[in-house]
Amino acid sequence: MALKGGATVCGIADVAAFDAHAPEKHRPGDLLPGARSVVVVGGAQPREGDWAATSPWVMQTMGTTDRIQGVGRRLAQYIESEFGYYALYVPPGTASGDTPFLSLMLAAELAGLGSKSLAGPVLNRDHGFMYWSAVITTAPFEPDGVEATPACPAPACRQMWEREHTTPCLTTCPSSSGGCLSGKLENGRAIRTFYDAARCNTRVHTHWVGGFQKVLEEALNEPDRDKRKMLLYGDFFTRSLWAITYSSTNIAQCFECMRVCPAAHGLKEMK
Amino acid sequence: MTTEERLKAVGLKAGARVVGIAPVEAFREKVPEGYRPEDILPGARSVVVAGGDGPTAGAWRCPDHRVMEITGYDLRENVAVHAMCDFIEGTLSHHAIQAPSLPVHGHEPPMSMMHAAELAGLGTRSLAAHIILNPEYGLLYYAALITTLPLEPDQPLAEPACPHPGCAAMYKRIGTTPCLRVCPACLNGTVQDGRIQQSTYDREKCHSRAQTYGIGSFQKGLLQIVNEDDPERRRTMIYSDFFTKSIQSLGFFRDSIAQCFECMRVCPVGRKYRKLQ
Amino acid sequence: MTVFKLDPEVYKRYKDEVLKLCNSFQKIDQPGLSDKQIAERLGLDERTVTEIRCVAERDCYSLDEWEKAIEFKRRATLEWSALALKRPDLKPE
Repeated sequence: MALKGGATVCGIADVAAFDAHAPEKHRPGDLLPGARSVVVVGGAQPREGDWAATSPWVMQTMGTTDRIQGVGRRLAQYIESEFGYYALYVPPGTASGDTPFLSLMLAAELAGLGSKSLAGPVLNRDHGFMYWSAVITTAPFEPDGVEATPACPAPACRQMWEREHTTPCLTTCPSSSGGCLSGKLENGRAIRTFYDAARCNTRVHTHWVGGFQKVLEEALNEPDRDKRKMLLYGDFFTRSLWAITYSSTNIAQCFECMRVCPAAHGLKEMK
Repeated sequence: MTTEERLKAVGLKAGARVVGIAPVEAFREKVPEGYRPEDILPGARSVVVAGGDGPTAGAWRCPDHRVMEITGYDLRENVAVHAMCDFIEGTLSHHAIQAPSLPVHGHEPPMSMMHAAELAGLGTRSLAAHIILNPEYGLLYYAALITTLPLEPDQPLAEPACPHPGCAAMYKRIGTTPCLRVCPACLNGTVQDGRIQQSTYDREKCHSRAQTYGIGSFQKGLLQIVNEDDPERRRTMIYSDFFTKSIQSLGFFRDSIAQCFECMRVCPVGRKYRKLQ
Repeated sequence: MTVFKLDPEVYKRYKDEVLKLCNSFQKIDQPGLSDKQIAERLGLDERTVTEIRCVAERDCYSLDEWEKAIEFKRRATLEWSALALKRPDLKPE
């Protein structure tokens, strides 16, 4: 049903598996008492054409996160109507600040749909980078196991590490030069990773709530009225408002670590 | 079925009312560099345009203009574009992307959907805000995809949809048309020998009508609020109906992005589809 | 370094010209110039032109125009309804 509804992949995680990884108040049972399973769907990933596009506005304004959320919603309704168990569609937003209700990335990992990469996003072995939605349910579904072999690091990245002690994602966005990432591979596995979430926020959500708040603060602090107008009517603030209103398609605005990732684009050959 | 027919069938099944195809070369004549399909997707060969219905016939009959301010748009042509993109990449193995159409700098989008619709033979510019009118259905909303797939293009329409013969006759009689008469603030134009002779459109004034509650009104309201020194007056401005509606509209902007339909309400093109029981 | 802030004096000097050259006031079949084209014509850099255009689009009309828009739509919808739906009771005052 999930795949027919538009998901590319679907997996099931056991709620008990979250205890070791998720903090209190952000586990499935905290959201749905009596929860037994978490059904995770992945899909709506950028198309091959999106990765090939040279205009930055394609991916920055036309991301496809929204479509997978619709699949999650329908799945919750289906579980309740067909199986008679409680089902809770996990809201994709944040509970407060930048903290989600439930980590969709963790859910995807525990459902066997992918594994965390050096760059951060969970990558599926066949399809690469994708968006996730999850449904917590009291239904006792048989869980899938976690992936045995991670997609990251890809063979090309392991070879690059041997040669140059870096990988495409670490080179593109190095924390040592004002970027978000650093890490270390050993014997073909990542043994250390670093991710500057606050800096990444300025890149992946350049024009969104944070940018809006920053400009608003600056405008309020600006004593010159003409300069205030320049801020509030200016390009950055206008663009931020557009991104906020079209959040569902604008929410991800930086893909550079994924653009260079050999494991992020799936396996399909294009003409 | 040809590839073009199969592709259009996918789009029509997904909710488009009309689907047309334009070659990327056609965009070079009038579109400045940086805004052409080939600037967006390397190797682009074709642009496929989907036109979707506007408000329902029932919505047009509502005497309260606020209804269509909130629900005038349902984005189904975008769904059709996604379905066609999936088909092109999944079945035909060519790159396909939804053409970016949201404004990214002020009012300017990276690519014009209106121009794409013209080149794909789906409509022609009208006196009414230069809206692209489909000769059969009138007002439609347009979305497009760009693809590396070479497709047999459709031709731009030879006969313009505007002016409608009734409007041309009206102009001959009284020197105006229904749209020009209802909205002289935004529109101006002349008709000669049954064709548009000249037409101007004040987009910035239209913006205050077509997006009364939205990003623009929010910015305007916010500037007034931050410039207001008196805290009591500031409070009444923040909680005012106008500013509240402006903030609300940001949350649901996708559905309410079109908020004025007066020039289209009086337009006879496609009106037969608004006459139901 | 802070967010790009346009110099108000530069804005005042060029806003009318930028608005005239872009797509704000349209003539059918005569597309406006891109920011890059406007920049070349006015001897400015493209980023500055983009910023001038964004601010000018918003600044073009005062909030009064928004009030007029609300009243315009209210009346136009009711007038049409009164006529097309044969409901003279809907005709606005």
